[in-house]
Amino acid sequence: MIRMKNVSKVYRTEHVETHALSSFTVDIAAGEFVAIMGPSGSGKTTFLNIAGLLDTFDQGTYLLDGQDVSRLSDRQMSKLRNEKLGFIFQSFNLIPDLDVFDNVDVPLRYRGMGARHRRELIEEALAVVGLTARLKHYPSQLSGGQQQRVAVARALVGRPRLILADEPTGNLDSAMANEILDLLERINGTGTTVVMVTHDPELATRAPRQIHVLDGRMLDLAAEVSAPLFRPGAHASEPVFGA
Amino acid sequence: MLAYHLRIAAKSLRRTPVLSALLVVGIALGIAVSTAFVAAYHTVAKDPIPSKSDKLFYVTLDSWNPERPWDDDHPKDPPNQLTYRDAVSLMASTIPTRHTAMFKTELTVFPTTREERPFRARTRVTFRDFFGLFDAPFQYGGEWGKDADAAPQAVVVLDHETNQKLFGGRNSVGKQVRIEDRNFTVTGVLAPWYPKPKYYDPHNDSFETPEEIYVPFRWTLPMKFVTSGNTSGWKSYGPDFEDKLESESVWVQFWAELDNARQRETYESWLAGYVGEQKKLGRFARPLNNRLWDVKAWLDWVQIVPRSTKTMLVISLLFLVVSSVNLIGILLGKFLARSPEVGVRRALGASRRHVFLQHLLECELVGLLGGAVGVLAALPLLHGIERLTRSPDDPQLLQLELPILAAGIVLALIAGLVAGIYPAWRICRIPPAAHLKAQ
Repeated sequence: MIRMKNVSKVYRTEHVETHALSSFTVDIAAGEFVAIMGPSGSGKTTFLNIAGLLDTFDQGTYLLDGQDVSRLSDRQMSKLRNEKLGFIFQSFNLIPDLDVFDNVDVPLRYRGMGARHRRELIEEALAVVGLTARLKHYPSQLSGGQQQRVAVARALVGRPRLILADEPTGNLDSAMANEILDLLERINGTGTTVVMVTHDPELATRAPRQIHVLDGRMLDLAAEVSAPLFRPGAHASEPVFGA
Repeated sequence: MLAYHLRIAAKSLRRTPVLSALLVVGIALGIAVSTAFVAAYHTVAKDPIPSKSDKLFYVTLDSWNPERPWDDDHPKDPPNQLTYRDAVSLMASTIPTRHTAMFKTELTVFPTTREERPFRARTRVTFRDFFGLFDAPFQYGGEWGKDADAAPQAVVVLDHETNQKLFGGRNSVGKQVRIEDRNFTVTGVLAPWYPKPKYYDPHNDSFETPEEIYVPFRWTLPMKFVTSGNTSGWKSYGPDFEDKLESESVWVQFWAELDNARQRETYESWLAGYVGEQKKLGRFARPLNNRLWDVKAWLDWVQIVPRSTKTMLVISLLFLVVSSVNLIGILLGKFLARSPEVGVRRALGASRRHVFLQHLLECELVGLLGGAVGVLAALPLLHGIERLTRSPDDPQLLQLELPILAAGIVLALIAGLVAGIYPAWRICRIPPAAHLKAQ
């Protein structure tokens, strides 16, 4: 689903060059549930942005679902995002003056679907996250957990092949966080690839595969599944490799 | 999708009501000022008779002083009126579909009842073709017969107001009106009629209402009518009234209706022949300079649109541009503040084009609202301009006609575009990741 090879991304200001990703190589198969971990500034959000076609990269190749994205126009990338990707953000990013129905409707609007078909998909997605009774509620009338469930519904309403979740539980208490993880597992269970950035090692262990990002490079922990990923008591983002 | 963008734009405006009101007022101010001045300009510059303005021709001949041109600043221009004798001679032509010599005078009208006082009526001395030439609409009756153009007959056409004053607005055709020292029979009453400008004779006040009464030209000599318009002369003449009629002074206007190019060419040849004959008689010493001015050329020549009106129009449009440009910064700030939402929409599939269109439509919505408010505000502004430039007794001249209202709205949409195109372009060019980082 995601195949990146030697992808580099440098942010430049007048005086400073920051290497956000350096020769980043990763291969995530369709249907996988992957947790991306790493300390702040390690490059995991940059990876997610590039994977989600929200940002460009300077070097390397990136095949999304077998398609080389490096030469796509803005329109083509937008279409790909709309049809193949779903996004979940840490701070939910619901649009405040749209009600639940309209928030979930946003990606379908850009797909140019008819009203009836959109309604069916929206009601189905809200049923998955258990919010069919809140169609007309505005984000400010919902709890944090409910808002994130709306965001999950919005991410999956277009039936994407890949869901990219950036700290989806970062603003939730542990009970709510587990609920969201349950949802992501269920979505993954239907064959949708899920890539989740998280700081929480416990939540990360619920993903069958963890990738650790450090200084813009990837450390794949797939082979370490049987070994403890983190030292007990260590900081969530602290890598344990080489210990 | 357009409806969706519009809905989102409307929500965005409602989200920040104070800022939105500021934007609308910004556009409305510019629109109010520019619409008022566009309306003023339109009133003075528009084609007063679009159905036949290319068929009506004002006739000028150059019978002026051979030693000196009529206008030192424009030496090639002929005098802007004709001598009485030339005007009468030109009436002999049978080529034009309609034609008339005419001038303005003032005559005393005696009301039918003793209670009313006599009054001086602005009078057009003309031929019967006048009414057909300029599409003057009749409420009752019609123009006088051909006989009254050939020899003096005591017939008169009244305008709507005069008929109101003399006969209470009733059909007065066949009734008698005493004008100066004799009774005239009414043959027709005009419906309300106010061509703006008064293109057929703009010499004194180009925006006054048409004359109150119309009498046959053949009364000029018997009743010794004196023009109340301009008279220009270069050669002295005797003291008698007949001397003035035979003089080289110009004070008569002449219009001809020529329906096609061939008719025009034939008439031009006829005029050249007439002037040639006059040259043989020792007149028209200047080079041949006959002109046929269509309505537009005529109004341009007499500079019907004052320079100050043009200047004010340009200034008002510049004011609108400045108003729009001032809004660019506000709109940019507003859009950038909404950057996270744009990021989310981009992540969910909105292309740059979608984002650009959505934001531009929001600007156009501001433009539309500003246009509506501005056009309404233009009404009192126009009233103010009218009060400043005209006497309170003058009839209302400036009006917001439907095409001007539409022009005001179109100007508002253009202003919205001018104000919004850069902010919309900026916001759509920001990479989605940067938008999301901005939250």
